[in-house]
Amino acid sequence: MSATANPPANPPAGPSAAEVAEPVDPAVDHVRSERERLAGVVQSVHQRPRDIKRRPWESAAVFVVSAGAYAWFGYWLVVKMHVVGFETLDRLNRALMIWHNDPAKLSAIGFDYPPLATLLISPLAIFRSIGSSLAVVPLTSALFAGLTMVALNTLGRRAQIVGPVRYAILVALALNPLVALYAAGGARQLIAMSFVVVAMGALVAWYVTADVRFVMLSGIAFSVAALSGYSSLLWFVLSAIMIGGILAKLGADGQEVEGTTVGFAAPTLYVIALWTVFNLVLLMKPFYWITSASDAGGGDPGAFTGVDLLRSTGELVLYGAPIAIVALPALIFVGASKNNPLALWLGLMLAAAIACPALSVLLDLTDSPMQMRNSLPILLFSVIGGLWLARSSESNGLLVSAVLTVLLVASIPWTFHAMKSYRYQNLEAPFAAAVSTGESQEGSTTLSGASVGVVDEQAMADYIKANISDRNSILTDNSQTYAVMLLTGRPDLFFDRVDHSDGPWKTAAQAPAQYVDYLLMSTGTGNDLLSQFYPDAADGADPRLPVVYNTDRYVLVGVPAGFDPDQPVDEVPGTTATGGAE
Amino acid sequence: MTTTATHTRARLADGVPTELGRLLPEGICRTFRVLPYAVADGTVLIAVAEADDPITRQVVEERIDRPVQLVRHTGNEISAAIDLVYPPAEGAVETADERRARVQMARMLTSSGLVANEQLQVAMVEYSRTGDPIGDILVAHEAITEDVLVAALSELHQMQRVGLSDFTPDLEVARRLPEPLAQRLQAIPVAATDELVLLAVARPLDAEQAMDVEEALGSPFRQLLANRTELDQLIQHVHSAHYVEVSTVALMESRPEDSASVVFTGTQKALGICVGIAVLLCAVVWPLGTLIGLVAACSLLYLLVSVYKFQLTFRALGTHLETDVTDEDIAALDERTLPMYTILVPLYKEAGIVRRLVRGINELDYPRTRLDVKLLCEEDDVDTIETIRSLNLPPHFHLVVVPDALPKTKPKACNYGLQLATGSFCVIFDAEDRPEPNQLKKAYIAFQRVAGNVACIQAKLNHFNQNQNLLTAWFANEYSMHFELVLPAMGAAGSPIPLGGTSNHFITSVLRELGAWDPFNVTEDADLGIRLHREGYRTAMIDSTTLEEANSQVPNWIRQRSRWIKGYYQTWLVHMRRPGTLLRETGIRGFTSFNLTMANAFVLLLNPIFWTLTTLYVLTQWGLIQQLFPGFVFYAASAMLFVGNFVFVYLNVAGSLQRGEFGITRTALLSPLYWGLMSWAAWKGFIQLFTNPFYWEKTEHGLDAGDHA
Repeated sequence: MSATANPPANPPAGPSAAEVAEPVDPAVDHVRSERERLAGVVQSVHQRPRDIKRRPWESAAVFVVSAGAYAWFGYWLVVKMHVVGFETLDRLNRALMIWHNDPAKLSAIGFDYPPLATLLISPLAIFRSIGSSLAVVPLTSALFAGLTMVALNTLGRRAQIVGPVRYAILVALALNPLVALYAAGGARQLIAMSFVVVAMGALVAWYVTADVRFVMLSGIAFSVAALSGYSSLLWFVLSAIMIGGILAKLGADGQEVEGTTVGFAAPTLYVIALWTVFNLVLLMKPFYWITSASDAGGGDPGAFTGVDLLRSTGELVLYGAPIAIVALPALIFVGASKNNPLALWLGLMLAAAIACPALSVLLDLTDSPMQMRNSLPILLFSVIGGLWLARSSESNGLLVSAVLTVLLVASIPWTFHAMKSYRYQNLEAPFAAAVSTGESQEGSTTLSGASVGVVDEQAMADYIKANISDRNSILTDNSQTYAVMLLTGRPDLFFDRVDHSDGPWKTAAQAPAQYVDYLLMSTGTGNDLLSQFYPDAADGADPRLPVVYNTDRYVLVGVPAGFDPDQPVDEVPGTTATGGAE
Repeated sequence: MTTTATHTRARLADGVPTELGRLLPEGICRTFRVLPYAVADGTVLIAVAEADDPITRQVVEERIDRPVQLVRHTGNEISAAIDLVYPPAEGAVETADERRARVQMARMLTSSGLVANEQLQVAMVEYSRTGDPIGDILVAHEAITEDVLVAALSELHQMQRVGLSDFTPDLEVARRLPEPLAQRLQAIPVAATDELVLLAVARPLDAEQAMDVEEALGSPFRQLLANRTELDQLIQHVHSAHYVEVSTVALMESRPEDSASVVFTGTQKALGICVGIAVLLCAVVWPLGTLIGLVAACSLLYLLVSVYKFQLTFRALGTHLETDVTDEDIAALDERTLPMYTILVPLYKEAGIVRRLVRGINELDYPRTRLDVKLLCEEDDVDTIETIRSLNLPPHFHLVVVPDALPKTKPKACNYGLQLATGSFCVIFDAEDRPEPNQLKKAYIAFQRVAGNVACIQAKLNHFNQNQNLLTAWFANEYSMHFELVLPAMGAAGSPIPLGGTSNHFITSVLRELGAWDPFNVTEDADLGIRLHREGYRTAMIDSTTLEEANSQVPNWIRQRSRWIKGYYQTWLVHMRRPGTLLRETGIRGFTSFNLTMANAFVLLLNPIFWTLTTLYVLTQWGLIQQLFPGFVFYAASAMLFVGNFVFVYLNVAGSLQRGEFGITRTALLSPLYWGLMSWAAWKGFIQLFTNPFYWEKTEHGLDAGDHA
């Protein structure tokens, strides 16, 4: 067919697309814009709400200055004054074993501490010489103290506190003797608390900006905190409830409340579930991690009546964090009277921090109750609450932050004085003595009766380093001799309970001559499994196991070839039933 | 309330306060010759040339929320006053002749009863915004048919018409006008004598165009007006052989090194064989050491991929990385400046969703007269073709029938359609896509704001049927993470972006210059993203989402995913043919990013192996497995098992939260099960890479619970 010119002027039009199309179901076919889709969402998603400007350099400066200052002070405290917590040495030794044991094993972290309390400091032990030095001890807490200060500084900026006052608050907090001891002494409490403070900072940011990503950041921080210190779970649970409550109050629908809470809680629930499974698989006790929480430096729990607990809690607040006496009622008042849910929430968190030590005692979840270090979370939550009160005070913010500074400054000498004589403590008194006198605390004892210093450990470690080089040649119970192991920097020299787990270790302990050349035991402790096997040798009185080297706290004995533990002492040539080796 | 008067106290000649005059937009003022000029007793006085025109009255009333009074003035008075309120830009104001033609057309259509007043009003308002021919607007909105418009134009211009619907062209004659010119001018010779060529044209040619045509034809010609749809089909038919050739072999011939038509190059084969032999020899001599080495290498790969992805997503969580386009920006857009926009929609056996597709495109907030929609159908897909024909779509929809030729892939169809594209920008949508209505405008504005080397704007993809079942929810979790976190971070970092399958907006000329899509690559989108980057172009993201249908059935999902993963392998093999060149072109960061992105597909292959080893070890404590993970290898593997896996799960949660899809965050927690499916698909794709590399696993659409009529 050829082209045809001039077809009909108005050809009948076919049905249009609209006519042909079937009826439209608006519910199915309507394409919603992003604005429509997010219309019912109360949080700020898919956009960046107005927030403070990022100041990475300021954060970096705060971190470097605070971590550096604590590291420097810690060096003086630990290396010069010998005020060192054995719990830290234990964790550092485990960290060293992760990298340098023979065989290197991740299981060295054990179940005695929250796993991240050890894992997070393990990078410091990658290099043997650094990891085994006492100088690294302060770093294990100073870095996290720096993180805490950065989080508080950012929180202060969100609270609209002017720079000079903000820095004054940070300095006043940093100089608090309790903070200084735990930030500079390598204590693990600072690790967990630093992440709790980061999490709280993120939640305050979420409250201010409604930006959902802060909920996620907070959730991640809480998950790290949970495996660094189990008590942070308490604040995590309260936060999860509060997030749901605040969203519901703002009119969020069920999906938003659920989704946000899932986003917040998932990391922590995951890590806790994972840790529980590990406990189940490896120990057959899924909740061992929480029922056996202990500290190497802990004291005797003793017995507490209800009145004792109330009094001890009061003392904890009064001497450790007196600022809470002002902060708690202020938060509750502002929260209730000014319709300020965050203030109320922070008040609740602070109250939980205050009640937590007593609750631990009631639930039998601690073997070192009412310790002064429990004031640390109370103090930090008080400061967070104070910062929020400053923001809530709007025009009076400067006044409130100035009052906060003054209270913090005033509590420095008060707490310092209390540390000298507070009943339940660890190294507070030696710390106060060292700061007051500038003299080494080597050989002194804590109020709970523990010896201070590492001279014995260092001497034994020096001997071993100088005289023994064969791997796995020293059988030892690392749970009691960790300090010596750490200071040698050679965990591979030791046949310890981590190497092949307890079963093979006990086998070796029963026939040491087949496995090792030496036994390293601690003296004066009934907890050393090897000392229990060879009590005379631990006292240096077993003629079959000649003492090679000993200090007041440790003894290193040789294991002669053919040594038979079942052989009576008097059958050993050259010995008598009553005599010891010369 | 509106009243009309011919005399009032205030006078237009006294001057018009700018703020008052701008109560009505410029387009409305000029189109309808109206201008607010005074307020008397709370009533806005509107100068108007045709005070009795009901359309003018209604348009004014709808736009001013106060009582108005129309006051008759002369057209010249009003035009002069409008020029003072809105100083005219050169060439942007309708000339007297244009105005006369427009009015004449409107009168012709209304007086003959072909257009109702309401339809004309809608068209006039659109005209006031766009300045496009009123007849084209009426046709685009299906108020009149193209044939009616052609008849009217014929009358106006006193030109003959020609019907081409059943026309069989003389190819020799038809090809006398070169294809580029035929495409550009929408003209084609339909008959010729020694002295004269009869040229079918969509619209009368201007003098300059006529000269070009005469020069090309080498003889005088006479124009015959034709239906645009029929003309378009004829041009396609006449030049189809050329289009097929370009769409299938152009890239392969012009840039063989970029074409996936060869899966493995000789060098790659040799290298693969050498490495295989070396590993085998090592395995014979040092069996345990070799196994440990392989495990260590895999663990390292895992770790690097995971750290990279985590770094990207963490960055995206921290800041807003998309190019910002606000509602205000869109409202302020002058539609007269909008370019022609081509939408390519490949369809295959999708007759059932054509109507839904047409409605979706018509819902786009973009002047239809500036849309160039190519519905790309395969020749053997008679159902879809017939369905489209039966709809008698207006001419901004173009049915493009791609002749049967291998490879029969989506990229080949897109290449075919791209040759016919008239838009300055183009975008691909799948048939079932539901783009956010203002996406084209957002993309256009974004193109004005991004760096000069940005040639592609990628919109986000997600799913409208995410709540259908667990699989669709997982799919939505994955897409949320990918498009809300990963791609924005990659775009902001200037890394090569593997483009999403649809909703990528291109500068058409750049796309053509690059050779468009590789028809032999089954993830042509990802490949094109890398090729863009290698040529120095960049991709940016916008915050606009296209909703797709998530696969709701596992077998269908596996087919789709295996194709994607196979395409990733193809893409990696193509671009790693010359790693040194790639490194030089993309830089160390781009090179690393590309490899780590593609490595994700290889990690999926490894997953089942490592899961099996872990399970076996937990159940049997087999010593050999323990030996495979000594020291640091064990730490890396443990970190990946306990931390890495959770991080990936949580990134899915984070993506959904970031998008505000709170209802599916809980399903993200189960995503490790989804990874199992992904690994299944990965192995299928990997095996197909050797057995059937160019096979296009077709994804069946329309499986969602919704209505696609």
